Amino acid sequence: MAATTESVKADAAEKPLLNVRNLVLGSLVYIIFYGWVRWYEGVYGWSAGLDSFAPEFETYWMNFLYIEFVLEVCTAGILWGYIWKSRDRKVMSITPREELRRHFTHWTWLVCYAWAIYYGASYFTEQDGTWHQTIVRDTDFTPSHIIEFYLSYPIYIITGGASFLYARTRLPAYQQGLSLMYLVSVVGPFMILPNVGLNEWGHTFWFMEELFVAPLHYGFVFFGWAALGVLGVVNIEVQAISKLLKKDLA
Amino acid sequence: MSASQSAVRSRAEAVKVSRTFDWLILFTLFFVVLGGYHIHYMLTGGDWDFWTDWKDRRLWVTVAPIVSITFPAAVQACLWYRYRLPFGAVVCILGLLLGEWVNRYLNFWGWTYFPVNFCFPSNLMPGAIVLDVILMLSGSLTVTAVVGGLAYGLLFYPGNWPVIAPLHVPVEYNGMMMTLADLQGYHYVRTGTPEYIRMVEKGTLRTFGKDVAPVSAFFSGFVSIIIYFLWHFFGKWFAQTTFVNSENF
Repeated sequence: MAATTESVKADAAEKPLLNVRNLVLGSLVYIIFYGWVRWYEGVYGWSAGLDSFAPEFETYWMNFLYIEFVLEVCTAGILWGYIWKSRDRKVMSITPREELRRHFTHWTWLVCYAWAIYYGASYFTEQDGTWHQTIVRDTDFTPSHIIEFYLSYPIYIITGGASFLYARTRLPAYQQGLSLMYLVSVVGPFMILPNVGLNEWGHTFWFMEELFVAPLHYGFVFFGWAALGVLGVVNIEVQAISKLLKKDLA
Repeated sequence: MSASQSAVRSRAEAVKVSRTFDWLILFTLFFVVLGGYHIHYMLTGGDWDFWTDWKDRRLWVTVAPIVSITFPAAVQACLWYRYRLPFGAVVCILGLLLGEWVNRYLNFWGWTYFPVNFCFPSNLMPGAIVLDVILMLSGSLTVTAVVGGLAYGLLFYPGNWPVIAPLHVPVEYNGMMMTLADLQGYHYVRTGTPEYIRMVEKGTLRTFGKDVAPVSAFFSGFVSIIIYFLWHFFGKWFAQTTFVNSENF
């Protein structure tokens, strides 16, 4: 399709299809924030995180836990509430270009979800392994757990929920019902958090530090498989985007 | 939505948009699969992967391929059968190794001070390349499962041999015979020190020495065949684009 003078003018006036600034800023939020968290662990893990009965443990770790709980509930409420409240009630009437733009915004959310999943399921989870091979716990709320279970997992739940809600409320491709694999890829990893209940229950009965592959941990494994639901999400997206671009790429 | 309208202004823009989506999809797929695969692998075979004194000739050789062929089989089931992309297994292993290496350096070494030559991850890349090449050449699930799965198990130990061999050199320490890897473990005591939890390599084949690793690799390859089949169908299930009625919830 040839570009006309009108369409060139329209291009200059309209919003870009992909807001690169949002994509970069979104990624930097996770990288910088988790860089700071890792610095905090390095400094206060050894100096204040070894004995849960010590006053400095309360100061540097329990207060961290209380603050993150409050911030997570507030962030989830505000973010999910905003996405739902500002939903498009005429989503099936948008132009193809607007739909394409929204797919790019959706993928900005999914890139953020990828960062959040990486830090939660990979970085901080294996880190917990080496910490508890070194430091035997005297509480459920150890420095590595306060970061892994109660910070990095809620953050990927909040990000995944936001991504799902964005797709559901703004993209025509997701109006035929609830995408089963999107639900799996968001709800599955979410279930890792309730599974912490089983984990901590087991750890209060037995010394399980010896074996990271202990059956007590298999709940995490099962729900970790749900990350593969992203394959279904990719397939839905490829179908929707192909439909939008097909005749121009032919 | 009007069918007469186009989402893009020109063919060039359509191509650019398509390429941009390719990168966004690849990035997201890579890191989400990395997260799921890493938590699966660390909690089903992690201890054998974390420490050199766990990297024996029997259980490490048996366990690691069996639990690690899972995600490659599932991702191949999507990328090959839907898009004819012959790199599902390699993408998974690259992701896993990136996650592991970052962790071993920044956390195992950087936070708890275990030297990297004591806690480096296993090399799974040779098996992954063979798995992808067999699928690409044969285009067959059955051939990939049987030949690729078996090769995945058999190649694991040779693929790690150049790294682990220097640490399996025998040493005498305080009148006891052990490997250099065992000695590393004695110097870096953990809650999971294998002697403490009696997960050390044992059995009659060890007494005679030479055949432990090949037998373990063969057994591992046999189970890997079965696991490949199973996870191929898991991958197919996860790749579906089904929508469910919201009233059901």
